[in-house]
Amino acid sequence: MTPAISVTGLSRRYRGQLALDDVSFDIEPGSITGLLGRNGAGKTTLLRIVAGHEFPSAGSVTVLGTSPVKDDALLHRMVFVREDQLYPENGTVGGFQVRHALRAASWFYPHWDAKLAEALTADFNLPIRRKVRRLSRGMRSALGIVIGLASRAEVTLFDEPYAGLDPVARQLFYDRLLADYAVHPRTVLLSTHLIDEAAGLLERIVVIDSGRVVLDAAADEVRGSATSVSGPAIAVAEFAAGRTVWDRRRIGSRESAVVAGVLDDTDRARARALRLHLEPLTLQQAVIHVARMPGTDARERTSA
Amino acid sequence: MNWSTLVKVARFHLVDLSYTALPWGVLAVNFAIYLAGAASAGGGAQIPSANVVVIYLFFFISGMLSIGRSLPFAFALGVGRRSYYAGTALLAVSLAAVYGLALAVLQVIEQATSGWGVGLHFFRVAYILAGPWYLTWLTSFVGLVMMFVSGMWFGLVYRRWNLLGLIVFITALAVVLGTGVVITSRVHAWPAIGRFFTTLSAAGLTGLLAALAVALLTGGYATMRRVTV
Amino acid sequence: MAGLEEGAPLFVQVAERLADEIADGGLAEGERVPSTNELAAFYRINPATAAKGISMLTDDGLLEKRRGIGMFVAAGARARLLGERRKRFAERYVEPLVTEASRLGIDADELVALIRESGYVQRGTRP
Repeated sequence: MTPAISVTGLSRRYRGQLALDDVSFDIEPGSITGLLGRNGAGKTTLLRIVAGHEFPSAGSVTVLGTSPVKDDALLHRMVFVREDQLYPENGTVGGFQVRHALRAASWFYPHWDAKLAEALTADFNLPIRRKVRRLSRGMRSALGIVIGLASRAEVTLFDEPYAGLDPVARQLFYDRLLADYAVHPRTVLLSTHLIDEAAGLLERIVVIDSGRVVLDAAADEVRGSATSVSGPAIAVAEFAAGRTVWDRRRIGSRESAVVAGVLDDTDRARARALRLHLEPLTLQQAVIHVARMPGTDARERTSA
Repeated sequence: MNWSTLVKVARFHLVDLSYTALPWGVLAVNFAIYLAGAASAGGGAQIPSANVVVIYLFFFISGMLSIGRSLPFAFALGVGRRSYYAGTALLAVSLAAVYGLALAVLQVIEQATSGWGVGLHFFRVAYILAGPWYLTWLTSFVGLVMMFVSGMWFGLVYRRWNLLGLIVFITALAVVLGTGVVITSRVHAWPAIGRFFTTLSAAGLTGLLAALAVALLTGGYATMRRVTV
Repeated sequence: MAGLEEGAPLFVQVAERLADEIADGGLAEGERVPSTNELAAFYRINPATAAKGISMLTDDGLLEKRRGIGMFVAAGARARLLGERRKRFAERYVEPLVTEASRLGIDADELVALIRESGYVQRGTRP
């Protein structure tokens, strides 16, 4: 199947600094992929290039088979919701209101669903007659989310779209996204650093660190990929012998080690026998470990 | 790049009343003030006024703002660079045609009523807007388009290279113009140029402005191609 | 994710929850199982994940698809599940119990007495 988004050897240099370094990955159509990484890792730059808002220094991007900077027709099948979106703000006459933003969006998106926009606007308590420049940060994010979801764009890019949204509103976003996605599947690329919140949504994750891809795998694989083993230090050492250990912490005679690899029933039984406590790492914890690994080779960490 | 997208872009800009209500509102107020002034002066006095120039200036600023204010959101809504530029230019051309016509009509009325009954020359600008109504229309049209497109180019330069870039751009323009002036003086070509302009009809001037407008459009587009948001 | 913990892959957890329901009798044989979209909405997970869980159970023969209508609990599913769980019971529950008991010095008689005291009655019926 042709990937919905295909990034090959993408690099972006700003004033001698490499914001993106040889980034490559493919995203299948009809999926929700998480773009994870620390602040400043390069997620926003990557999304801007995929959306055609920014140009690469090297490498290429194709979305739905064509280049976003060459093909204007492609752009109508994409929407980019970003945290720092600038809206037209008229200083003098009228005032660009929420309803103007929604109306404009309805003109440009052939599959715009007005009913959905209405329902979402109500869900987020978005005041449609308020000027956009008067909206709080959370409201601005909500507006972006309404546009992103109601556009039904085949490729929907979200760049940390929840700035200023409280946890209730964030959950609303995840729920509405899933609900619409279930009935109208599309390709979603969601960049976030709130990994555990979004963990259930994500089928795949791509982790970026310092402009490089350090992990590109199915979320489920990453989830089961490591376990925290804690108990008496000697027992931990015995259990961990012969396994890859990602992290070790010690207090007194007790130790906690993060052991890589999937544990089966035999392992669990052995852990019980050794009086060890096992706790699987959450997606967020697993990603943190992977992103922090010094000298991580992107190729090693990539799994099919 | 298809026609309906361009029209949508133009519509998108028009959500901002600054393109429509504002200029005419200001002009109306100005006109009222001058009319009152001319009336109180007892009529007969031919008060020249080039207030119409305000509209030209306004088009320049609108051109800048069409890039500065609306481009980021349009990009987010999946409007491409080509479409945005062409759609905005379409807006410029449409507004210029309509406003140019309005100015021409107002000029005709002004002439017919001998300056609105009080000798006020508000819409008539000597030489440039002094010919038959259709020529006035054409000249206004081209002039307004040129102003808008220049504004667009300035706005694009600012977007790409920020304030510093804009300063450099303006400086470069000034240098080019200044050099032209210096050279003209050196070769004593001012009389020749003066002659050229006096023999140039309003139609000729219009043609010149049109050529200039096309050059500006091309320059602006070249800047647009690599603009980022 | 509503009520799914980290650990086993999400789709496995979804499958296990459904299996629990079948084993408990909450989902009778021949009864319709929630759709992938319903499960996705309930657990707040990706529909693809829910679908994987369902197909895992289908592959195991516990669910069957009726074209155009949905997924249903297969005949004999409950019996099969209970059988599997019995097999794993010894490994999952009895062994740890016995290990811990011996560590604490509780002998077999004491252990049986403790079990009786807990209110356990033969055949798994609650008191």
